[in-house]
Amino acid sequence: MLDPAVHAQLASVLPDSALLTSAEETKPYECDGLTMYRELPAAVALPEDEAQLVDVLKQCHASNVPVVARGAGTSLSGGAVPHKDGVVVAMAKFRNILSIDPVACTAVVQPGVRNLAISSAAAPYGFYYAPDPSSQIACTIGGNVAENAGGVHCLKYGLTVHNVRRVRAVLISGEVVEFGGDALDSAGYDLLALIHGSEGLLAVTTEITVKLTPKPQTAQVALAAFADVGAAGAAVAAVIGAGIVPAGLEMMDRSATRAVEEFVHAGYPQDAAAVLLVEADGTPEEVAAEMAEITRVLGAAGATGIRVSKDERERLLLWSGRKAAFPAIGRLTPDYYCIDGTIPRRALSHVLGQIEALTHQYKLRCANVFHAGDGNLHPLIMYDANVEAERVGAEAFGAEILELCIDVGGTITGEHGVGIEKLPQMCVQFREAELECFLAVKSAFDPKSLLNPGKGVPTLSRCAEFGKMHVHHGALPHPELPRF
Amino acid sequence: MNTHTAARVQRPDAKDVADLVTLLTADYGERALTSRSIRDQHSHGEGLADAGLPDVVVFPHTNEEVAAIVRLCHAARVPVIAFGVGTSLEGHVAALYGGVCIDLSQMNRVLEVNAEDLDCRVQAGVLREQLNAELKGTGLFFPIDPGANATIGGMAATRASGTNAVRYGTMRENVLGLTIVTPDGRLIRTGGRSRKSSAGYDLTRLYVGAEGTLGVITEIQLRLYGVPEAISAGICQFESLEGAVQTVILAMQHGIPVARIELLDDVQMEACIRYSKLEGLAAKPTLLFEFHGSEAGVAEQVAQMQAITEEFGGSAFEWATKPEDRSRLWKARHNAYYAAKAMQPGKQVFATDACVPISRLADCVLETKADADATGLCAPIVGHVGDGNFHLCVLFDPDAAGERERAEGLARRISLRAIAMGGTCTGEHGVGVHKLDALVAEHGEAVDLMRTIKRALDPLNIMNPGKTVPL
Repeated sequence: MLDPAVHAQLASVLPDSALLTSAEETKPYECDGLTMYRELPAAVALPEDEAQLVDVLKQCHASNVPVVARGAGTSLSGGAVPHKDGVVVAMAKFRNILSIDPVACTAVVQPGVRNLAISSAAAPYGFYYAPDPSSQIACTIGGNVAENAGGVHCLKYGLTVHNVRRVRAVLISGEVVEFGGDALDSAGYDLLALIHGSEGLLAVTTEITVKLTPKPQTAQVALAAFADVGAAGAAVAAVIGAGIVPAGLEMMDRSATRAVEEFVHAGYPQDAAAVLLVEADGTPEEVAAEMAEITRVLGAAGATGIRVSKDERERLLLWSGRKAAFPAIGRLTPDYYCIDGTIPRRALSHVLGQIEALTHQYKLRCANVFHAGDGNLHPLIMYDANVEAERVGAEAFGAEILELCIDVGGTITGEHGVGIEKLPQMCVQFREAELECFLAVKSAFDPKSLLNPGKGVPTLSRCAEFGKMHVHHGALPHPELPRF
Repeated sequence: MNTHTAARVQRPDAKDVADLVTLLTADYGERALTSRSIRDQHSHGEGLADAGLPDVVVFPHTNEEVAAIVRLCHAARVPVIAFGVGTSLEGHVAALYGGVCIDLSQMNRVLEVNAEDLDCRVQAGVLREQLNAELKGTGLFFPIDPGANATIGGMAATRASGTNAVRYGTMRENVLGLTIVTPDGRLIRTGGRSRKSSAGYDLTRLYVGAEGTLGVITEIQLRLYGVPEAISAGICQFESLEGAVQTVILAMQHGIPVARIELLDDVQMEACIRYSKLEGLAAKPTLLFEFHGSEAGVAEQVAQMQAITEEFGGSAFEWATKPEDRSRLWKARHNAYYAAKAMQPGKQVFATDACVPISRLADCVLETKADADATGLCAPIVGHVGDGNFHLCVLFDPDAAGERERAEGLARRISLRAIAMGGTCTGEHGVGVHKLDALVAEHGEAVDLMRTIKRALDPLNIMNPGKTVPL
């Protein structure tokens, strides 16, 4: 319930239709793409411009009301789950592309613009916006900044942070600030990078200048089959080790390819233990030369079959399997749980073997789909949320995979963010001094901790509750430090 | 000295400093030095001299030693200034309030090279040329190449860039993780081996470019690249500066993946011809190119590039395909600062560092050229231009009436011009002590946040005080 005084304040700065408080109205905002966490907010505000947003934040700040900013709600770590006493600030009305500058190769957009809409608008100029999370039809650029979203093409073209020049944002105090600039560099602390992946804990963005990339003249993809997963993992290392930077380098195991084949009929080999999709893009000459090298390396790495797309139609068909992997898995199981650990590439086959062992231990199926070039795993653990033992098992299975990633020098999230979901693993990945640095940054932006509280970065006492801080594989980090 | 900070920091108590020096010399023996000449050598980089001798210079060998030194400084509230090889240009290493200079040059080991993952981990004192020498034979290289043979730690701290940022990015894109000693003397690790992480805030990029004001960088995880199959370098000369700049703009718009594009104006060209004894070249506006890729890819890039240069009145390309010819060419470019200095021996020099969006590059370079000519000072232009970044080496005689003022006025106008065009006062040299005012002009309200972050992470303000962010 929103305090009546706060409600009155918000109502005074927003149009009638832009403040929702009844359960029927706020229900659509109760969760994000990770549906295991749900909460109804006290209110949903839909500001129409920056001035209204500033007023909303100022009121919430003055009344100590938590604020959760929200884009399209496609995030996968619970980052957009409302706070029960708080206000969801939905940025849906910030949906204009303000300008496209083909000389500077940039576009200025509002945060509620969908990822793919930027590419569509830039297409007449021969440009596109490179980062392409799977949800790009729906997800918004504001959410992409908050999560530092990646995608299939980020191996070559970088993550969101590499493709954004400038962000205009409002702090919880209502102050409007700009990070970065129109040039490639900017003086002073790199606040632009800090905002990326900050999961709505530092500021609410209102305007984003993105970098546009010239559309490659042509692209070709190779689909390579492997008789075992380890060989496919080694082939990934061989491609990268050969100095090739493919436009995309994706891997799927047998569970995934079978699910996909039944769904989209992309022509994936059904007997292979794993397949790789390797894309080259550029001018026709570059693509021909790179594809020749790619097929040579894949062959030498033991591919049992290689199919190279002959035209754009076939290229899109081969990619359709990868892009449809999540819904394809969704047809096989009532629920699935997508993990987002990232590991150094050379640990790939070791980690995949361990995950295989865990499927037996937990008696749950797991399909592996991932951005192999970045070492970013997306194991999809299949379970039935109505069976309590399976739900609990899936969560524990996922947690073990994440801790395995940390063990081999990786990280618990490559692109989906920490949200609510991975708070316990944050306590495993980071030491106390590191968490204190995160908390210091947070306090500099939001000393009252009103923006998206309870997400992203655990407090030290939270880590103590999780029991994760004290012992990690028997080794106490910094035993000399006093503990709480 | 900058008025923003002078009032905010106080020199530590002389007795506290003396006690600390005693402790450090007891612990580190000959690795803790207090002689005037050593302290003097550690008081400045390559830019203008700044008043500020450290009280003692310590040469640690391990992360733990750095942490222990910082803990002592923290307890005594004495400033800590990290030092690489002293090639910075904005007064970053000046000990404005005295204190302990931590010279990291003896932490100079390449700790690991992971060819499969295309990364390596090095200690902060490793020099960039040393790293590439050690990578020989692995088929890998580290591309970032500021003019000076700087340390990797210093390059990370100042978010350095170089001639091939247009293709490979700056230190911002190429540092994967850091080991940091925090102001209270604890070791933390940021980022790591994996290519991407969205766990927690991006502390790696916060410390990259923080110029030693938030902590001391002791180890750096770097991204490496495969040595390209084919490399080809070319020189193209132009009748007008505008033709050269328009060439760059069009090349960037077409997305030609040039590895390097360097602009030298007529004056800089004259300096380089004289200093590096370049033959067969005229003192005209010049572009140096380098193309990386497969044989076919490079041939294609070159053909595209030549079509553009012809359109803007460029000469036929002179080619340097042999490695030794290429290194001679780039050596000449890297020595541009020293070449400019040699134009008028005895004069002082400082380098400006404007960076603008590529769409404003022509306006900014041409206005700046006219501005520089009007001052009557010798101020050659050189720049990476592909990323919108260019420098003037402004020469002046500190004893001649008004010359310093004219030089500083020019530098200030260049910073403000770049900012007004949506750019920055510093593309790669950093803020240091000289650009605190420009930082405020560039970022406005966001400087408050930088200040708050500085206070949150370094509440005692002992890390390189007086630099980077006006308190």
